[in-house]
Amino acid sequence: MSEQVPTDRRDGMFLMTLLPWRATAGIGRSTSGWQVMWWLLILAATIAFGLFSDNERFLTLAIQTYVLAALASSWNILGGFAGQVSLGHAAFFGLGALITRELWLGGRSLPVAVVVALLVTAVAAAVIGVPMLRFRGIYFSVGTLALAVAVFLTAGNLWPGISSLPAEALRAYEFHARYFSALGVVVVTVLFAAWLKRSKIGLGMMTVREDEEAASATGVNAFVYKMAAFVISAVLAALAGAVFGFFSASYYPQFPFSVVWTFDAITVVFVGGVGTIVGPLIGAVFFVTGRDLLSSTFPELQVIAFGVLFILVVLLLPGGFVEGGQRIYEVVSRQRRDSTTPTEAESEGEKQEEKERMDEGHE
Amino acid sequence: MRQLIIQSAVSGLLVGGIYGLVALGLALSFGVLKVLNVAHGELVMLGGYAAFFLFSQMGIDPLVSIPLVFVVLFALGVALYWLLFKFVVRFDIETRIKNSLLISFGLVLILQAIAVFIFSGDDRTIVTGYSSNALVVTGWVRIPWARSAGLVVAIIAAFALEWLLNRTTFGHAVRGTSEDWTLASLTGIDVRRVYMIAFAISAGLAGLAGSLVSLGYSISPSIGLGWTLKALIVIVLAGLGSMRGIVMAGALLGLIEGLASVWVGSAYRGVVALVVFLVVLSFRPQGLFGREGTHV
Amino acid sequence: MLKVDNLGVGYGDLQVVWDVSFEVPSGSLVAIIGSNGAGKTTTLRALMNLLPTITGTIEFQGESIVGVPTHQIVERGLVMIPESRATFASLTVADNLDLGAYTKRSRGMRDATLRDVYEIFPRLAERRTQLAGTLSGGERQMLAIGKALMARPEMLVLDEPSLGLAPIIVEDTFDEIRAIRERGVSVLMVEQHVEMTLELVDYAYVLELGHVAVQGSSSDLMTNSGVRAAYLSLK
Repeated sequence: MSEQVPTDRRDGMFLMTLLPWRATAGIGRSTSGWQVMWWLLILAATIAFGLFSDNERFLTLAIQTYVLAALASSWNILGGFAGQVSLGHAAFFGLGALITRELWLGGRSLPVAVVVALLVTAVAAAVIGVPMLRFRGIYFSVGTLALAVAVFLTAGNLWPGISSLPAEALRAYEFHARYFSALGVVVVTVLFAAWLKRSKIGLGMMTVREDEEAASATGVNAFVYKMAAFVISAVLAALAGAVFGFFSASYYPQFPFSVVWTFDAITVVFVGGVGTIVGPLIGAVFFVTGRDLLSSTFPELQVIAFGVLFILVVLLLPGGFVEGGQRIYEVVSRQRRDSTTPTEAESEGEKQEEKERMDEGHE
Repeated sequence: MRQLIIQSAVSGLLVGGIYGLVALGLALSFGVLKVLNVAHGELVMLGGYAAFFLFSQMGIDPLVSIPLVFVVLFALGVALYWLLFKFVVRFDIETRIKNSLLISFGLVLILQAIAVFIFSGDDRTIVTGYSSNALVVTGWVRIPWARSAGLVVAIIAAFALEWLLNRTTFGHAVRGTSEDWTLASLTGIDVRRVYMIAFAISAGLAGLAGSLVSLGYSISPSIGLGWTLKALIVIVLAGLGSMRGIVMAGALLGLIEGLASVWVGSAYRGVVALVVFLVVLSFRPQGLFGREGTHV
Repeated sequence: MLKVDNLGVGYGDLQVVWDVSFEVPSGSLVAIIGSNGAGKTTTLRALMNLLPTITGTIEFQGESIVGVPTHQIVERGLVMIPESRATFASLTVADNLDLGAYTKRSRGMRDATLRDVYEIFPRLAERRTQLAGTLSGGERQMLAIGKALMARPEMLVLDEPSLGLAPIIVEDTFDEIRAIRERGVSVLMVEQHVEMTLELVDYAYVLELGHVAVQGSSSDLMTNSGVRAAYLSLK
């Protein structure tokens, strides 16, 4: 690990304004004014896009990105913060989609349908979590996978037919409503994750992740924190699923339960940077864009490319793009340091930021 | 009704033989290398396609091509070890298991996509002259020839593996390496070579199972994960430590599935196995044949 | 036989052994002594390439073994018995010994060597079908040595052979080590039991905090006032 070197403060801020990924990496610890500014700009841009664009293809891609980003962020809470690798996340995504869509198409208002879906998911997660979280490590992973596949098969049996929006709803299909719902969901999810990370609960989760035995020894009730992560991530996954159910014109109700959603979410989280806030976002953008670009040739090629990328990330760059970005930043800032002599106070401040940044990268 | 139950039980036992065979391979790679290869099912799938290819292009009967398929998948196992799993075994046990889970996850995507690309997504079955023939017992119980091979091969493989592990020096080296690889190195054992061969054998066994699946049932690019899960369930059911126990657990699982499907319906057949899995894991984590206090 | 020069070893960023040099002449019995944390086990692990060396050279029979894979070092005739977990608990005594002769150079003579080992350790012959994990501490030590002998080593390295053993068994063990040297095998042992060790060996190096503090023939060291004060009164 490189030494913690002070950089010229003005230079640092200059770099920060130029390089948004550097700015965004800071979220989760201290968020400086610059970083907030960047986030607001991005948010404004996405809102403007939603308001003024009528390009259905791009709107669709954006919605897919938001849904995947929200799902990935939710997985990140359980897998990245609390360290419990769940392979069954699609079960909650599917549950959210199913309940929302059934109720909504059945005549209830959409907000009511979503709330019910979230409540049911919360209860289901709590019930499932009690036995499931007793397992550790791979047992937990395989157990969640087994459960998710069982749910997938059952859903396919109980709701075999295709689910389509009725004709007038199709005619009245409003892209912008879907767009802003998806955007809203991903914003809420990310903000919540960011808050969680800095909260005591989040700290407890990360303590459990690092060493469950040690955490218990210091009085941290590991089960409670794992349960909190499990339920929260399930509910947020269901929220993403609800948007998906709202967005899809027609689909097989079994589809959102498919393990493919779990695969995609985990790939996105790792490629972007597991445990970080911005990782799932970067990963989702990269994933959806890449998939779209590659799908014009052989669709399998895209899967293979992402599979290879995922493996490379796990082996070589476990922190994903966020870690990659930070490494580049370190190299660049070390070159700049050579020509400047910071004052005491400034170098202290930079040391603190450096340290936080490194903590960020190592989470 | 009685006829249905007995026939379902028999059919379940037969497919359970293949469950056991697939589980044998996974138990070998997990027990020796301590890596969890969730792409094991994809190796089964590829074995099935290899057998299908040998049959449709060269007319080789799948029962005859068994050794060939084993060799092909063995070679693939060697390649996968050198390209991928060799890097995973460098980590300590805990990181190793978690990383191998993730990495083989990526491998699942890749192998499945390759299969779709080469073979397209349709189901395939090998239909031979004897495919519709069966041994008929007591007038109405059908034991299809094409499906019995699974159980027979599984039993043979279990005995062969047991002989290898218990009666040969190489087998002792494998067991020693899985217990303590540092000591194995100090004993002059080339641990990496042992890992490679163990992994390749596990891939070969997966291929064997696959060729029997394509003979007696059907294959398609997406069946991989289902087989991996079945294998994991069998391993948890049996506990590690006995090859025979794994085959027995596989047969038992098939039997349970078959019987349950009479009441629950074939649509929920797959769910039965998963429920069994969760129950056994909760109440008897060391498996039916495992020792108290151990776990997979 | 073995010549180590300026050895430096560490774990990650932490260097634990500094500039350690020692020699084991052919046919001799040499010890590295020191208390816990002195760096003895680290040195041995680096010798067998279980740990990478940061600096230094290691020559066995004239050839460098730095960076050579562990199993190949064993193949060349340098065999180490680790301080704990020196036998495969899940294998029988017979299987352990069988594996001991895994190297190509020892495989051919396996049966003859096995007979010798059973002669030296009749107790192992009695228990040959017993699982090594069920043996007593002393028996397991015997098995560890027997297994190492199966590899027909040119030089044997022992990491704290007396650890965890009752004094009478330690005496037997040291007798066996003496006998092994009589048979022409060079021996390097690492120990905390300073007095017993000095009575056994020809030459010794005292390791303190990763450096060689004192070295000399065993008679010199036993009369060395510094060594006496630091080690022999505390034992």
